[in-house]
Amino acid sequence: MTRLPSDVIKAIERQAPKLLKKPFNKEFKKKFEDLKAKMIKEFLSHPVTMEIKSGPSATNMSGTLNGVTNLFAFIGFDQGDQPIQPILQILEGINYTYAGEAKIGVTYTVNIPEAKEIFAVTPLPYVGGRSWAKGIETGISGLGYLLRKNSGRSGAAIQSRNQVRTGRFQNTPYISALINKYKKEFKELK
Amino acid sequence: MLWFDNFLLTKGEAFSNKTGRLYNTDDPFIDSSFEAFSSPYKQFVNDSSISGAILPTGIPGDSHYIDYDNGRIVETGSNYTSDSVITGTFAVKDFNVYFSNESEEDLIVEQKFMVNSRVPNSVTSGIAPYDQVVPAIFLSTASILNEPLAFGGEESTTVRANAVILAEDSYQLDGVLSIFADSHNEIFYPIPMTGHPVDEYGDLKGGTYNYNTLKSQYSNQKPFLIETATTSKLTDKARKSLANDLYVGFIDFDIKINRFRFS
Repeated sequence: MTRLPSDVIKAIERQAPKLLKKPFNKEFKKKFEDLKAKMIKEFLSHPVTMEIKSGPSATNMSGTLNGVTNLFAFIGFDQGDQPIQPILQILEGINYTYAGEAKIGVTYTVNIPEAKEIFAVTPLPYVGGRSWAKGIETGISGLGYLLRKNSGRSGAAIQSRNQVRTGRFQNTPYISALINKYKKEFKELK
Repeated sequence: MLWFDNFLLTKGEAFSNKTGRLYNTDDPFIDSSFEAFSSPYKQFVNDSSISGAILPTGIPGDSHYIDYDNGRIVETGSNYTSDSVITGTFAVKDFNVYFSNESEEDLIVEQKFMVNSRVPNSVTSGIAPYDQVVPAIFLSTASILNEPLAFGGEESTTVRANAVILAEDSYQLDGVLSIFADSHNEIFYPIPMTGHPVDEYGDLKGGTYNYNTLKSQYSNQKPFLIETATTSKLTDKARKSLANDLYVGFIDFDIKINRFRFS
């Protein structure tokens, strides 16, 4: 195999980023948008997201409550609340910026949110400072459900307290797993 | 629990020194020849490392034990009857600290705790033993997670521990929350059950207990690290739907230790 002379390699390395910036950008943008859309689709099709999005009349499709009541009522949201919206806004806000030249190419920085940024915009409706999205991963008490019942603002999904007892919440991977997975995938984007 | 108690009493000076009478109270669980005299408050401070706290003094007679958890003196000698007048000086905790296995909803919605106010009032009776009273903090461990850390089997263990705070007013609640919000990066050493200072009667095993001295005996152990301490409180809207008039807060701890399993 013939080796290119070193001055030619240097010339290519110097000129390629400038010449290829536009086509690289075009190609990267497409790959980035596809991956972002895949991430959002995966988030929206997560059973927890679907269940909460379906509101107070949903079934416990996530299986986190052993089929008793549903997450919307269990967490204690009000009818009409849209708890998924702030997460969606953050995910839709994922973008990239040009970070500079590389050897025969360019690099981009992708601003993927940390899980804690999402936890900060998902407060439990009855406890300021605690995140329901984190609670899905680490555990959530039935307090919201009972407080809701006491205050009579329960919507359609209220069932008896004893049923909540038997259907203790089961943690499930959610936001952190999604972020970790796509952090890796965005990093591998070429 | 020993670390938690010490941290609250040291950083928050969460105790008050009281002098007064202790009242005779019935207790079917103690020997019938014993006479129990309860203070109007629960949980005396038992840690002599707490600056300014007066540990029970002036208690008459040599034959008695102090039940710190229940805030009472139990006279075991024959010189005392239910009519005996017992007085003493003691420091009471602003918050009783309990280890609990109850769920948050049980503690907050179900339990009808008696409020044992620390505000001076004209109480003329002792408080019944064994009942849990508020203001109080209920500690529990929520979960434990082991993750591989290093070759050779060392694991990173994360213990998620929760504290539910039931306070009389928002000033008291905010005080506790702010103290423990600053507890991240604190470390404490594991103290085995054999090192626990309290006996089955609620009295001190060796007659005295100093947290700083005790922890120094175990300072060659790997410490636990408070990695995060997140505080939060029940919104006012939610609080109004409770049957009681308590202020409710939460502390969620992530406590880490690197260790080998079964060690």
